[in-house]
Amino acid sequence: MIDSLIRIFPEIAVGVLAMAVLVLSPFAKREKRSLAYLSIGGTALILLSTLVWGWRFQGPAFDRMVIIDSYTNFFRIIFGLTALFVLIMSIDYAKYFSARQGEYYALILFALLGMMLLPASGNFLTLFLSLELMSLSFYILSAYMRKHPKSVEAGLKYLILGGLSTGTLLYGISFLYGVTGSVDFAQVTQWITARGKIDPVILVGALLIIVALSFKIASFPFHIWVPDVYEGSPTPVTAFLSVGSKAAGFAVLVRLLVSALAPLKETWIFLIALFAAATLLYGNLAAIPQKNIKRLLGYSSIGQAGYLLVGLAAANTLGISAILFYLLAYLFSNIAAFMVIVIFSNVTQSDAIEDYTGLSRRSPLLAVAMSLGLLSLAGVPPLAGFFGKFILLGAAVKEGLFWLVFIGAACIVVSLYYYLLIIKQMYLGEIKDQRPLEISPLARMALYACMAGILAVGIYPSPFLDMAMAASKILF
Amino acid sequence: MTDFPYLSVIFLAPLLGAVFMIFLSEENKTAIRRIAAGATLISLALSILLLFKFDQVAGGFQFVEKIDWIPSLGVSWHLGVDGISLAMVLLTSFIIFTGVFISFSIEKRVKEFFILLLTLVTGVYGVFMSLDLFFFYFFYELAVIPMYLLIGIWGSTNREYATMKLTLYLTFGAVIALVSILAIYAVAQSELGHYTFDLLQLGRIHYSDAFQIIFFLPLLIGFGILVPMWPFHSWSPGGHAAAPSAVSMLHAGVLMKLGAYGIIRSMFLFPVGAKFWMPLVAVLCMANILYGGYVAMTRRDLKFMIGYSSSSHMGYVLLGMASLNIIALNGAVLLMFAHGIMTGLAFALVGFIYDQSHTRLMPEWGGQFGYDAANTADPSQKKYPEISGLAKKLPFIGFFFIATAMASAGLPGFANFVSEFMIVVGTFRVYPVQTVLAVFGVVITAIYYLRAIRAAFFGEIHPKWEKLQDAVTWTQRLPFLVLLSVLLIVGFYPSLLVDPIHTGSAALLAKIQGSAGLSEGATLVEWARSVIR
Repeated sequence: MIDSLIRIFPEIAVGVLAMAVLVLSPFAKREKRSLAYLSIGGTALILLSTLVWGWRFQGPAFDRMVIIDSYTNFFRIIFGLTALFVLIMSIDYAKYFSARQGEYYALILFALLGMMLLPASGNFLTLFLSLELMSLSFYILSAYMRKHPKSVEAGLKYLILGGLSTGTLLYGISFLYGVTGSVDFAQVTQWITARGKIDPVILVGALLIIVALSFKIASFPFHIWVPDVYEGSPTPVTAFLSVGSKAAGFAVLVRLLVSALAPLKETWIFLIALFAAATLLYGNLAAIPQKNIKRLLGYSSIGQAGYLLVGLAAANTLGISAILFYLLAYLFSNIAAFMVIVIFSNVTQSDAIEDYTGLSRRSPLLAVAMSLGLLSLAGVPPLAGFFGKFILLGAAVKEGLFWLVFIGAACIVVSLYYYLLIIKQMYLGEIKDQRPLEISPLARMALYACMAGILAVGIYPSPFLDMAMAASKILF
Repeated sequence: MTDFPYLSVIFLAPLLGAVFMIFLSEENKTAIRRIAAGATLISLALSILLLFKFDQVAGGFQFVEKIDWIPSLGVSWHLGVDGISLAMVLLTSFIIFTGVFISFSIEKRVKEFFILLLTLVTGVYGVFMSLDLFFFYFFYELAVIPMYLLIGIWGSTNREYATMKLTLYLTFGAVIALVSILAIYAVAQSELGHYTFDLLQLGRIHYSDAFQIIFFLPLLIGFGILVPMWPFHSWSPGGHAAAPSAVSMLHAGVLMKLGAYGIIRSMFLFPVGAKFWMPLVAVLCMANILYGGYVAMTRRDLKFMIGYSSSSHMGYVLLGMASLNIIALNGAVLLMFAHGIMTGLAFALVGFIYDQSHTRLMPEWGGQFGYDAANTADPSQKKYPEISGLAKKLPFIGFFFIATAMASAGLPGFANFVSEFMIVVGTFRVYPVQTVLAVFGVVITAIYYLRAIRAAFFGEIHPKWEKLQDAVTWTQRLPFLVLLSVLLIVGFYPSLLVDPIHTGSAALLAKIQGSAGLSEGATLVEWARSVIR
């Protein structure tokens, strides 16, 4: 018991922090900045301790309800970093929330708790609970600007479609439980292996679960909620959704498919490859005509999910490591872009791409950060996304999925096009709006950190890749 | 041989220059320009030194440096040059050094310009020096994005369209080649039992004939786009025309050679694939030479003319490579060098004129050459006159343009003559028909260059051009002098470069000839015949 508790100390700490923020919120001053700093400091400490001690206290906890291994720890770091950056962006954005700013930070932390538990789940119940903890927090967060119709629309859409996927997930789990009599991943795997041939009921259950999780990672054809929710939600929440929620979806999908449903590999590989191709094409092509930068990043995040699915379709160690590595690269790149969007919209109140014209003259730092983020997403060397895409496609080539690799390669060109359209506005366009763009010291630090991350992960990927490889080897 | 890391220093000098500039104030233009000149001078000096230190008897890859970079995937920082890449490194150094001097005339956003320019050239050096397939590709793609901004911000004619087209085209070429690179990587892993991107190790593996034939094609198309090989050339003239002078120089002078260099390295990896596909290249390159030349004749914009002329000349390079003959291959590599210098010179000259005249249009083809007072109602009132009679005001520029034209048309004494001669001699035995046609390409070159000289430099001068300034200061003259001297030195003493190049291409051809012949009926021609039947 004590062992179990020690192993999940970061999760406990996040939970306590969230509660503390909630309890303290009535006592904080109206601006609630103190709560923001408390959350940021707490998250940073938790992240740091996870980095230092997380590797030491590993093993199953609570009768295999939760599995703490280096895979889990890798994702704890990803989520911790994401939440840290999101909290930093929220400080200046929180003025749009009028009241209830305290609960906002608590909700972010609750969502973080759900995310951290997801990759650790060794049991369908943990999976369901942590997924719901994350999703429920996000339903509220996306509707947090309740006076903005778009935000309310986003929350409602997300709630309804999210509820649908929850139902699907539960239905799928019930199939697996009904046949195998267990909710434990390992026992389900054993049952399927012992059975020898594949039971159609198991297949239906697995299919339903895959569909439900595809909703979370926003893969085609379960992506419909993405553009509206991304556009309507408060921007920091959008950033959290696009990085954290997607990474969480992949974390659990990978663990489930690669380790628990390994006996069904032949079947799901085909399905995932099809999803990957469709997602790549849809996300990247639909991003082209977008005029709103949050919508564009929404479609682009669908496209990025396609690349990650390519790694899953390859389903070898290289492919899974590539997914983990790419999520890290995606984190820095996407957060950098969203950070710029938040700072920019705080002054201009606009998310229209055409308003970014001349940004490179107005604020060179913002323009550089945005360009690095976008180019990294497009996969341009020497940035993080380049190496990520390189190994993702490499893993697929190794499995002979050439048709998928061709689609992925062609989509690099397509995505470069729409990312360049934004860079074109920023660098080639004439400056129209002269108002200076203020960047708070904390946000400036976060921007530098993101840029350093993009460059470091891209130029010297070796340590990060080794970490991802060590984490993904555990699944096989 | 010492252990001094020559190649790393050549590679890092411009990069460090760029990084250093980030911390300088934008106002400090002189310091920025000096840093750029200094950094590229270091690279140039070391490249020339390398030429003399290169051991021509030993051949092979020299000045090798190797550091493990990503051990788990077999990626290493592995640099080295053979005779072929040595010539290319030297070319890059000359072009960037003179390009920096040409760019001194740029006044808008100087800091960003030089940072991007130096980043671009770092990528180019990286491609020519990398003996690691990963870094080869890495730098190949790295060269594309700075180009987008360089053309987009500092460019001229139709720049936004041209730069987007160019960037997407080149990226498309890169990702097509990527598929083959990854396939090679996967096969190598199963053959060797461990991951590696080491070109030397990859070159020793025997790939099956079918694999070579299938995967040589993406490499050929991918790199061919950058050459630019017809029918993938359409990005190139517009891109050249829109780019600022130094970028046009680097682009036509060096970047197009990256494509040809990529094809040469692919031939080394896939000898059978090369034997199978190169006859197709021998046909396509005729379109480059003749069609490119024809279009160049019809252009009134000087930069468009030189742009098409470049793609026409790259046709000779492709022809020389396609012949798989040692003399022609040496000639092709030498032409890559000579054409790079020559076209750099041409773009520099046109850029010099354009900076002052803001037009590059020559008078209409046919009928009337030059500005003729008698035939125009009131010509001095013409708002946008074409350039004409410039030699009167710009004797220095005029002289160099004529020299460039002579080099381009293959007059003896210039490096271009030697290389084109070698290509023609070497190719004649393999593709006699193409060779004869290619020789006519030289006539076409002469036509459009003579026309340009007559139209732009001779005839009456329009009053508007009376106030143009010639290149008078030494910083203005230096780049032209350097480039023309290189052309002449190599023209009179070609073995300076041909000898090292020979060590590289001889090794390549030995491998291709040593590879088992294609099985019966497996050549492209045979296959095409069987389809027609």
